[in-house]
Amino acid sequence: MSSKILTFTLNGETIRVVVEPTDMLADVLRDKLNLIGVKKGCGQGECGACTVIMNGDAVTSCIIPALKAEGAVVETIEGIGGPGKYHPLQESFMDLGAIQCGFCTPGMIMSAKALLDKNEQPTREEIREAISGNICRCTGYVKIEKAVSTAAEKIREGK
Amino acid sequence: MKRFKHYDACTLDEAVSLLKEFDGKANIIAGGTDIVGLFKDNVFAESPEALINIKTIPGLDYVQEEEDMLKIGPLALLEDLAHNKLLKSNYTALAEAARRTASPHIREMGTIGGNICQFSRCWYYRLPNNRFNCIRKGGKDCFAEEGENRYHSIFGNVKDCLAVHPSDTAPALIALEAKVKTTKRVIEMADFYQTEDAKKFSILDSDEILIEIQIPRPSESTKSKFEKFAIRKSIDFPIVNCASKVEFEGDKVKKANICLNAVFVTPYVPKKAEEYLEGKALELDTVETAAQLALQDAKPLSKNEYKIEIAKSLIKKTLLACK
Ligand SMILES: Cc1cc2nc3c(=O)[nH]c(=O)nc-3n(C[C@@H](O)[C@@H](O)[C@H](O)COP(=O)(O)OP(=O)(O)OC[C@H]3O[C@@H](n4cnc5c(N)ncnc54)[C@H](O)[C@@H]3O)c2cc1C
Ligand code: FES
Ligand code: FES
Repeated sequence: MSSKILTFTLNGETIRVVVEPTDMLADVLRDKLNLIGVKKGCGQGECGACTVIMNGDAVTSCIIPALKAEGAVVETIEGIGGPGKYHPLQESFMDLGAIQCGFCTPGMIMSAKALLDKNEQPTREEIREAISGNICRCTGYVKIEKAVSTAAEKIREGK
Repeated sequence: MKRFKHYDACTLDEAVSLLKEFDGKANIIAGGTDIVGLFKDNVFAESPEALINIKTIPGLDYVQEEEDMLKIGPLALLEDLAHNKLLKSNYTALAEAARRTASPHIREMGTIGGNICQFSRCWYYRLPNNRFNCIRKGGKDCFAEEGENRYHSIFGNVKDCLAVHPSDTAPALIALEAKVKTTKRVIEMADFYQTEDAKKFSILDSDEILIEIQIPRPSESTKSKFEKFAIRKSIDFPIVNCASKVEFEGDKVKKANICLNAVFVTPYVPKKAEEYLEGKALELDTVETAAQLALQDAKPLSKNEYKIEIAKSLIKKTLLACK
């Protein structure tokens, strides 16, 4: 058999999971590790719904063979906060109505988080650029942009 | 998806010997943003048996200037090239081409080597489960000839295939007169794509790996520029793109290099336009004439005549930006 054991850090924990060469990271996260906040839209890298942060960068997990995550540090929406203690991005997306159907939201937030992790004071252009690989068919992006800049403010104030 | 084996290569020698072992039935995977989509959609009739990961080979993602040459490792990420200061100032067309490729997510994964080695994005070729057995796959027809050809070649076919090459960085590298070093040879980037064997796009043999891109340092009096026309600013492939490099002597053009892509089966260098510009000042009327000459031999298909005007406009814009 060509299956292998994949070892990587997922949301701060070391994970070992058996994967096939044909398994994509998005499938392993969703189907084997039950992290269904990772959404699957196009499956071809075009929509950004499956965005996770891998070694600090926002990437589309639907076109990453899981075996490429060997030794990597991966973060998903589940790892950044949740009920009880939301991440400032999660809070501002909810507070400012930057969510409608919600399908694009985990991917949007992970793209935005990768940006804010590197740059706490992004310009409007930098925010637009960071989420330019994420397609939202509901909101029209204006509120999303606002939510990201509000979260950036909160993060700066919190320091 | 059909089953395949996955190997993490630790050295180039190991990767080459694995390629030899599979004798044409294995592919290199770098960032995977092109090849994974092909596998997922079962695009090939005979699916390759193995993917050989070269991302695990250390030290292949450098960007460094040595003497009179810029050397770029095949695994340099597009996002890093897009933001590289040296590139932005001295090799502008390449930084801009990298910057305009795909989306930030894809640029964080996609490599320069993979960008120039990527396969066709023709929708007949790419349709899942090999539904159109086109010339590129050993079939007899090009379905774009009478079908939906709005994104196809405006300079005719090669071996009856009308699919264009989709790379954004290839025209920039050709305009910058880059060379490509492989595990077997060093060749001009302008000769990197071939038209003899319809089943492949570049000259690379099945056991050959691209190991470096070399760009001669442009003189002080040289500027370069890249422009891309696509439906959206992000994510989309070029409908037409163009890179120009102009070296000046006083206010006259000493040498001009122009390369269009997504207009022909391989990147397209309009030689007549380049020659015409030599010795001329870059004025509106000279760039207009250059653009006319560049598109003089165009033979648009039923649905893509519009690409001619776009190509002309990109040639003019890039040339004028070099002033
Ligand atoms: C949504 C989306 C949008 C895109 N938009 C654009 C766009 O606008 N412009 C554009 O130019 N591209 C675009 N692309 C294509 C994108 O795949 C490439 O830009 C990317 O650079 C490919 O690099 P990679 O490392 O991921 O290649 P891979 O997928 O790893 O490899 C691609 C091909 O090159 C071969 N290869 C890779 N490295 C080497 C090497 N060193 N030696 C020999 N062969 C090698 C592989 O075997 C494979 O056949 C897009 C892709 C997606 C998914
Ligand atoms: S599902 Fe991965 S980019 Fe669309
Ligand atoms: S909220 Fe529905 S797709 Fe973005």
